[in-house]
Amino acid sequence: MIIARRLFFFALALLTTGVGAAELRHDLYVCVNLSGQGSVMGRSGPLLSGLYRSADRENFEHLGPHHIRTFSLAHDPSDPARLYVALLDGVLRTPDRGKTFRIVTSWDMTEAKSISVDRNRPEHVYAGIPDGIAVSHDRGQTWQRMNAGIRRAYTEAILVDRTAAGRVLAGTEKGLYLTEDGARTWRLVHGTEKVTHSLRQSPHDPKVFFAATGGDGALWSSDRGLTWTRLAGISTERTLHNGEFDPRDARRLVYCGWGAGVQVSADGGKTWLDRTAGLPKREVWKVAIDPDLPDRIYAAPYMEPLFASDDFGRTWRKLQWEKANVFDLVFVPRK
Amino acid sequence: MKTRSRVGAFFSVPPLTRRATTLVSLLLLAVVTVGLEAQPSFTAPPPSTAPVEDPALRRDQYLARRMEALRWRAAMATPGDPTKLGLAEIAAKLALREDAAACSERLIELMKKPAADMFWMFPVTCISYLGRDQLTGEAKAAIREAWRTYYPLRGDTENHWVMYYTTMHLMAQLWPGEGEDRWFNGKTSAEISAESRAWLLHWMELTTTIGQGEYDCTHYLGEYSIPMLFLATWAQDPEMRQRGKMMLDWVIADFAVETLNGIYIGSHARTDDTTVLEKWNALSSYFAWQLLGNCPPQASYGGWGIYFATVADHYELPEVIYRIGTDRSGAYTHLERKRTRHRWRNSDVRNAPVYKTSYVTKDYALGSDQGGLLQPIQQHSWDLTWAVPDPRGVHNTIFSVQPFYGAEELMMYFTEMPDYMPAAVTFQGKPTYIAESKLLGGSPYEQIFQQEDTLISLSDVPASAPWKQVNGFFSKDLASIEEDASGWIFAQGGSTYIAYRPLAGYEWRPLEKGGKRLFSPHAKNGTLLQAAAASEFKSWDAFKAAIRRLPLEITLTPTPRVTFTTLRGKKIEVAYGAAPRVDGRVVDYAGQWKLFAGPYLNGEVGGRTLTMTHGRLKRVLDFNTLTITDAVLP
Repeated sequence: MIIARRLFFFALALLTTGVGAAELRHDLYVCVNLSGQGSVMGRSGPLLSGLYRSADRENFEHLGPHHIRTFSLAHDPSDPARLYVALLDGVLRTPDRGKTFRIVTSWDMTEAKSISVDRNRPEHVYAGIPDGIAVSHDRGQTWQRMNAGIRRAYTEAILVDRTAAGRVLAGTEKGLYLTEDGARTWRLVHGTEKVTHSLRQSPHDPKVFFAATGGDGALWSSDRGLTWTRLAGISTERTLHNGEFDPRDARRLVYCGWGAGVQVSADGGKTWLDRTAGLPKREVWKVAIDPDLPDRIYAAPYMEPLFASDDFGRTWRKLQWEKANVFDLVFVPRK
Repeated sequence: MKTRSRVGAFFSVPPLTRRATTLVSLLLLAVVTVGLEAQPSFTAPPPSTAPVEDPALRRDQYLARRMEALRWRAAMATPGDPTKLGLAEIAAKLALREDAAACSERLIELMKKPAADMFWMFPVTCISYLGRDQLTGEAKAAIREAWRTYYPLRGDTENHWVMYYTTMHLMAQLWPGEGEDRWFNGKTSAEISAESRAWLLHWMELTTTIGQGEYDCTHYLGEYSIPMLFLATWAQDPEMRQRGKMMLDWVIADFAVETLNGIYIGSHARTDDTTVLEKWNALSSYFAWQLLGNCPPQASYGGWGIYFATVADHYELPEVIYRIGTDRSGAYTHLERKRTRHRWRNSDVRNAPVYKTSYVTKDYALGSDQGGLLQPIQQHSWDLTWAVPDPRGVHNTIFSVQPFYGAEELMMYFTEMPDYMPAAVTFQGKPTYIAESKLLGGSPYEQIFQQEDTLISLSDVPASAPWKQVNGFFSKDLASIEEDASGWIFAQGGSTYIAYRPLAGYEWRPLEKGGKRLFSPHAKNGTLLQAAAASEFKSWDAFKAAIRRLPLEITLTPTPRVTFTTLRGKKIEVAYGAAPRVDGRVVDYAGQWKLFAGPYLNGEVGGRTLTMTHGRLKRVLDFNTLTITDAVLP
């Protein structure tokens, strides 16, 4: 009976949202804390936190451990079933889309914040951690710190350039660093006042990168991350949490932040429109653009439901949960 | 006489023959009393603070206190009501070797819904070891299954990691040779054992070279000492067992030297809004009660205290530590070096040094750090604590703070996103964090210097700070508060005379928990405090007159500066942003502050050794050689 009811509502949801009309080639993974503002180590809430997956963008299935500090996720391009999860305990790896897990780091690596796999050498995995950059050359089995050249090594964002093996950008406390030799050496390519929180490479032009920072606004590079400029019209007074490219439209971008709400651009970042109306607050932790559904974006206001918009932010609807802190929204290919 | 032991047996339970009568009497008393009267030592008159000279009697009393705690907790279980049989009651019952069948049955249920991360791990580890020959196979299987399916968080700070890795080490030892599919984290028993050992050695290396990070916490004393007792009791590896013994001694000695009648005094990396006022009301007081016997235990024996009690019979407090903790016949200055918690952002150093000073007498103790942001949220930088006959419900302390909060502080010590943190902290058991009336926490704009029983705190607060004032805590338990025309505020706490000098104008504001807050709304500001024993003066008026005569120069602009000659005749010169001077000599923090320095505890930074002395007693903990050396000096 319950299953039948769920199937009915699932079918209804597909019809009403139009999801059924599009081919979903990715699963949506969400790193979320559902234990409330008071969540600290040693306390637990009634809801399971950690990693969730949605195959249909409407129903969310909990995977793996209940974990209140699951920060981000990356998949192995050569085997999308192999996922790496950056969390408080270090790096968690699953070989089977979340059926089984193993903490692959040891005591000396804590609070991994971000993770990225080298598309051209998928056995190489990079993690941004509070005291630098952790690198694995064997699909996460063993790790070593490789921060040479980085001052104030706190690393919140890390991204492997998909065009070149061993070419990695790191968003640290004091700037953007680049390595071109697999993290053996790093050099500062752009200094910042505060932490860089996210780094993205354009799916349309691999020379283009987009960074969201804690006090330096949004940064843009058109030369593979060698030089960066601040995007005009974006305040440096707000902490920006992340920015995203629209995989379907090279001109469209979105970013969010604390007090910054959700901002979208349809001209490659030259101008921005505030798309926060309809969300309960301007403190937005994460935004994401769906690679499979036209005009579908997601926004995660702090301690609010996860919201979805099917018109690129003009209107919003509650999608899941009531009081969530969504740390990341990641699309992983099914094949 | 000298004895030297490697992997020694000082944890052994001494023979009972010489004191059988006393022990039996005490146990009988405990058996009769507990169950009829709730928490006998919590509700009874306070114990004597005089040292117990007879070692046999001392041991008997120690064991009796252990039994009192165990029997009280075991009696909390109500027959027929399984909800009253929790992990703590089961641990107590197993320690008493009673009701194993009921405990087993209940454990099977409790293991279905594990929660609380490392705070679940160490009780279950305790139960697992106590129950090795008592629990049913089904109960053991339920525990085993829970460690496969329940994923406890490792945590993000020192006290979490001590609990996590000690218990992981012991449980991997309990279930050796098991594969990665048998553990929640996907690692094998061998991997877990190696990882936990590596972390524990790393922590011991840090602690014995540059000091503890979450140092001298009124509650986390338990989070360190209980795991170390477990390690000392149950580790099969003789090295880990020896390390557990030595670290337990280390942590307890570090505590004992900064107590006054069992109360943890002075500066703490972390305490809380209750304990910062009612100094006794902390888990640390359970340990003082259990180990030193010189103060009442906290309610419920501090909660976690019960887990120490379960195997406390495996620990015999070295007499030298007992003497250090109970002998207050002479005043002493004790210096320590600690370290900050790991700094992730906004700092060029991972662990900045913390320089602690404590001056302890039989009537009062003054303790401090150097000021600044040394720990997030719950730092307590300085206070004067005076002795009271019964500390329960008493706010026997005076101090001031420059209230501060901010994302910058939290970003330094936590890896979270910045903006949400200050408000979120108030939902995490730290409700006053963003309150302007707060009395807890450090400030980057506060600099403190202490010389014996004189303390000067200076603050120079920029306009960008959340508040610029100084908050001074004046207890409801001060016998008198007199605002003198000289600018001094004179007060008396117990047998202690206190002279408190606000460096700028102030007003009084009420406090919800009693007493009043000195609110001094000036950015360039500070506090000067001079304490003395009432017995040093013929009268209250004589004390006040003596204070008024002390040379004092106060300048607030361009930066606060004080020159003061103390009651002990030392000329102190302090200026905000500059190193203090005493009798013209610049204070060299890095040079003068050893890991421990004083009449009782001594150790060099980087030395990995702690030398404890009292009278003719001497004990050396040497982590270079993993040896404990005891000596009685001729």
